[in-house]
Amino acid sequence: MTNRSVRWFEACAAFVEFLCAVCRCLVTGPRYLVETLRVMDLLIRRCLIPVGLAVAPVGAVISLQGAGLFRMFGAESLLSSLLATAIFREYSPALASVMVAAQAGSSIAARIGTMKVRGQIDALAVMSVDPIRYVVVPGLIACIIVTPLLSVLTTLLGLVSGWFFAVPVMGVDHGSFLANLYAQVSLVDLWVGMGKCMAFGTAVGLIAGFLGLRTSGGATGVGKAANDTVTLTIVLILVADYFVSMLLLRLGV
Amino acid sequence: MAEQQPAITLERVCKSFGPNHVLRDVSLTLPAGKILVMLGPSGTGKSVLLRCLVGLMKPDSGRIFIEGQDITALDERRSADREQLFALRRKFGMLFQDGALFDDMCVGDNVAFPLRQHEKMSEREIADRVAQYLEAVGLKGVQRKMPAELSGGMRKRVAFARAIALRPKIVLCDEPSSGLDPVMSATLDELILELHRKFAITFVVISHDTAEARNIADYIGLLYKGELQEYGPKEQVLRSSRRHINQFFDRSTDGPIKVL
Repeated sequence: MTNRSVRWFEACAAFVEFLCAVCRCLVTGPRYLVETLRVMDLLIRRCLIPVGLAVAPVGAVISLQGAGLFRMFGAESLLSSLLATAIFREYSPALASVMVAAQAGSSIAARIGTMKVRGQIDALAVMSVDPIRYVVVPGLIACIIVTPLLSVLTTLLGLVSGWFFAVPVMGVDHGSFLANLYAQVSLVDLWVGMGKCMAFGTAVGLIAGFLGLRTSGGATGVGKAANDTVTLTIVLILVADYFVSMLLLRLGV
Repeated sequence: MAEQQPAITLERVCKSFGPNHVLRDVSLTLPAGKILVMLGPSGTGKSVLLRCLVGLMKPDSGRIFIEGQDITALDERRSADREQLFALRRKFGMLFQDGALFDDMCVGDNVAFPLRQHEKMSEREIADRVAQYLEAVGLKGVQRKMPAELSGGMRKRVAFARAIALRPKIVLCDEPSSGLDPVMSATLDELILELHRKFAITFVVISHDTAEARNIADYIGLLYKGELQEYGPKEQVLRSSRRHINQFFDRSTDGPIKVL
């Protein structure tokens, strides 16, 4: 076996062990509620504006490009159905998760990585405080809660920007826009979207925590941990999102 | 009175990283309430020794007893052992090399951190205790400052206050004098002596400062290439004719200790 595959195998084993430790901390006390709220507050503030800026143009683009096309078939009243389906099912969960991965994932990994290289993780352990319980779990819970919340916001923003470019700008009728908005989406879409967000949030929190705790090599190591977290989680989210969407389409949901 | 249990006993402790043998067959006994200064050139396994003592690292072989309890037998991954390990670590305070204060907490919260985790005290009592310890390390009224606003020496003293906040029985100091000016390191040495007198704390101080060893040590050890070259009460070690110890105290390049 080459050195590389040994390292890869070792990392996988370490991740499984890490997962077990996280699960153990989730089901047993003590819990650090204040720390969790603090991280949540930090994440919301970090993510709010970038996520909004990333999603708002999507609704606008669908309306701008779609309005002309739909008009050719005399179906411009159906534009809002496409908009709502695309945003509820795909864009909002995926973009919110990707932005959380970029903003929250990098900041959590960088924070834990900094604590690690500056000896603060060891200091926690010496003070009989489990580092996974104190720094990883609050970040994980914050990601799981914040991602769906942000997705609600991105959905609203996407719809509003879509409406703005469809109705006042492209001249689609306001009444038919609203009437067809929910024609193709159901409550299931909403729950699937939320579920995806929570799953992706979990992935971000776990990977950021894991790579953060494995940081070594000073400031360069911290940068690498943050960077790896973002790359890994975004790839993971996009691939997982594709398979979930395919599965749901097959099932006819 | 029954003879007091030694604070720390090491039995043939070995630790290596790959081909690099960091500790070889290190054995020693440190009586309770004494100050041990462990000397040695950089990179000879002093910090690893300290990390093994608190169970942050596990020796490859050999055993470490803390007040008679074998810390090497405890596996952090097993839940029953973890409780015991955490209970055992409560006996320790540790001063890390650069302090390891939490950057996102003010000084007061840093010192209060172990108290909030482990003591059932009201916020008022905690504030009193924090003020008392900060005053003891000569830093009155800095509670609201952030660690980044302090100088290196001040950070170390805050870290010291945090290390002793839970009134531990054993305090481990990883190079307390490195990076400090002579006056500041003398101040820190005096602090160690004072706390030692006041609370009968056992200290293990890692250092390469021979002046510090002369000033504060009850016991002196010399680690070189992972082996304990010399260990014993200060007077005995200072009288030793071993070339390692003489070279180190004479600040000489001529002798068995080689710079790589």
